[in-house]
Amino acid sequence: MKLLSNYIKEMKIAARGFYFYIEIVIAVIIVSILLFAISEESVSREKEFLFYEAEQELYDYIMDPYFKDGRLVRKESVGFKVKAMDIEVVDQETGEIISHHFDENTIAAETIEQYDTKTGKLDKTIYKVNSYEDMLHLSYSEQSFGAVVKYELDENYKIIDSYKYYIQGYETERFMNILYVLYNENPEVLKEYSDKQNVRVLGDMEKLNNRESMVPIFLTFLGSIMGIVIVVAYLFLDKNERVIKSFAVTPASINSYLFSKIMVILTTVTISSVIITIPVMGTKPDYLQLLLFLYMSTFAMSAIGLFLSSFFDNMTNAFGALFGVVLILLLPMFSYFIPSFDPLWLRFFPTYSMLQGYKTILLGGIELRYVLLYSFIYLIGGIIIFALANVRLRKTLTV
Amino acid sequence: MSKVFDIFKRDVLSSTRNTLAIYMIIVPIILAVVIALSAQGLNDTAVKVAMLEDDTPEHIEFMRKYAKVELFNSVNELERRIMKRDEIAGLLPKGDGYEIIVQGNEPEMIEVYTKTLSALYELGVSKEDSRSEIYNFNRHVPPVKKMLVIMLISITIMLAGMLISFGIVEEKTENTINAINVTPVSQNGFIIGKSALGGTAAMASIVISIIITGFYDINWLMIILVGVSSLILSVLIGFLQGLNSKDVMEASTGVKVLLLPIAGSIAGYELLADKWQWTMYWSPFYWAYKANDMILSKTADWPTVLLCTGLVLVISLTAYLVMMPKIRKGLS
Repeated sequence: MKLLSNYIKEMKIAARGFYFYIEIVIAVIIVSILLFAISEESVSREKEFLFYEAEQELYDYIMDPYFKDGRLVRKESVGFKVKAMDIEVVDQETGEIISHHFDENTIAAETIEQYDTKTGKLDKTIYKVNSYEDMLHLSYSEQSFGAVVKYELDENYKIIDSYKYYIQGYETERFMNILYVLYNENPEVLKEYSDKQNVRVLGDMEKLNNRESMVPIFLTFLGSIMGIVIVVAYLFLDKNERVIKSFAVTPASINSYLFSKIMVILTTVTISSVIITIPVMGTKPDYLQLLLFLYMSTFAMSAIGLFLSSFFDNMTNAFGALFGVVLILLLPMFSYFIPSFDPLWLRFFPTYSMLQGYKTILLGGIELRYVLLYSFIYLIGGIIIFALANVRLRKTLTV
Repeated sequence: MSKVFDIFKRDVLSSTRNTLAIYMIIVPIILAVVIALSAQGLNDTAVKVAMLEDDTPEHIEFMRKYAKVELFNSVNELERRIMKRDEIAGLLPKGDGYEIIVQGNEPEMIEVYTKTLSALYELGVSKEDSRSEIYNFNRHVPPVKKMLVIMLISITIMLAGMLISFGIVEEKTENTINAINVTPVSQNGFIIGKSALGGTAAMASIVISIIITGFYDINWLMIILVGVSSLILSVLIGFLQGLNSKDVMEASTGVKVLLLPIAGSIAGYELLADKWQWTMYWSPFYWAYKANDMILSKTADWPTVLLCTGLVLVISLTAYLVMMPKIRKGLS
């Protein structure tokens, strides 16, 4: 009962403050960005600079079928303004270095878009240039892949192709290995072999689209994680205004005081998360699961915030530490966007399971076990950390 | 000037009692170490492939050249691995060839890449038959690492402003701002003196972080120039937030609001197509990010860096002049 009256009092105070409304405004801004600035399908930004060392007739003979079947589409030519620069080109096999100097220039390039004929999605944009030097200059200054593709006919009029790839230098050995062998076979033969591979799907085919896949990021970092900083700000606000000293002479426990603070955060994140999720996801997610996961993770994160704050006596000091913790907790975001970066140590970060949990829920709650398991872990972890914070803050808060 | 220095000294002294400057330096350095350690992994975007231990050694060896291979004792174990949350495709012998196994919710490229590798193996291609040559531009810093370091610089500079904001709120709570008004130090002097500690600590940690992450041979004068101009902006925002916030709660809210244009500028620079970049020109954070990107890529020239820092300063100065009455009011 005391907890409820504490919560109602805290909500009344929060509703008079700036923070509560800013949360809503930020959620509205984010959902507007998601709906109007981020498309449902991701658009490839990959670009290549190619110089074809071939007779025009031979080039047309080889490439025309691709233009006819829609895999390649000619677009308006562009001019790239490039600065004067000195470039070193290293032969990957021999280590020999060749130096080039280029003057400031505007390089004209024919724009060709390459599409996946199955999905109709843009694969990459190819810029076809007129000389080897232009390809080098552009590939270096735009920090993109470059190549010289050579087509010639042998004495039997058979097409002989060869390739010189120009990469930046930080690419992995595995990437270079694939470059070496990718065109050993005719691309058509490779595609035919590739398409006839038997693929067996074990689980579900559900995927989040480009826009939907951003929602777990906002739920995690603007919802759950923000609890760490905001609950501490609430705490030091009360400390500065000597509310806590007044509270100490009332019969209410410090436990219920701290928990009422967390409840205010839970209310705020519920509103902002719902504002972000409903317009983007509609009725697809199981909102009961979403709220359960949101509450448990925010509770655990707020408990961590309270515990950390017990080591500091003012917001400035606490903020430095909390901000550091929040930044480190951002790391699993990279694994979320770059699936191949998935080291074992990253899975111990609570934000890793949060991102995966929200993703599961948004997909329609197909893995209830995962959501329930981690909700339980957050709850138990949160209770333990909250108890520790309670013990520490009981000693330090009223000082 | 000596009074300004006195405020700086006072802040240095008080920071030994609290831990402000220590965090300003420690937090970015910890993050720099994390970036240095994980950058290689972030750059290695090879697909993961699950195979059986009793597959042929040639097949396993072939796949290892192009993918990260994990081996399993049995089909059940392999299938359990594929059903886990991360992205991995399986390759199981079936009849004369192989069967590719996927969970179904992976990005499209995982399946496409595995199919291509399997096709290449079936076609019996090898590096020895290659008609390809590879050349590189001698660049060894992956773009992901560079992006993380620039983000770290932006965050450090933002942290300086935020801490100033909290510092001002606390000075207001303790009524020490009013006390400043009865001393001979001017309001501008107070602003500079108050900013000096956060600024110095931020610049020190930026320099150390850049060294830790391996960017030794950049143009340091350029990076310091961009850093100082961004710091002026950050400090100004910190002051405004501090003076306009009644309490730490409002200052914390300001932090969250500030994150939007910073994150937006970074996302805009990295993700927007060239023809849409102009939509970010209003943001000084965009110009600072762009300048840092060119400096760390070693493609920066002085006219462009001066233009970027000039824009950051002009936008900051305009904001300062517009907000000056508010700052003066807040200080009095």
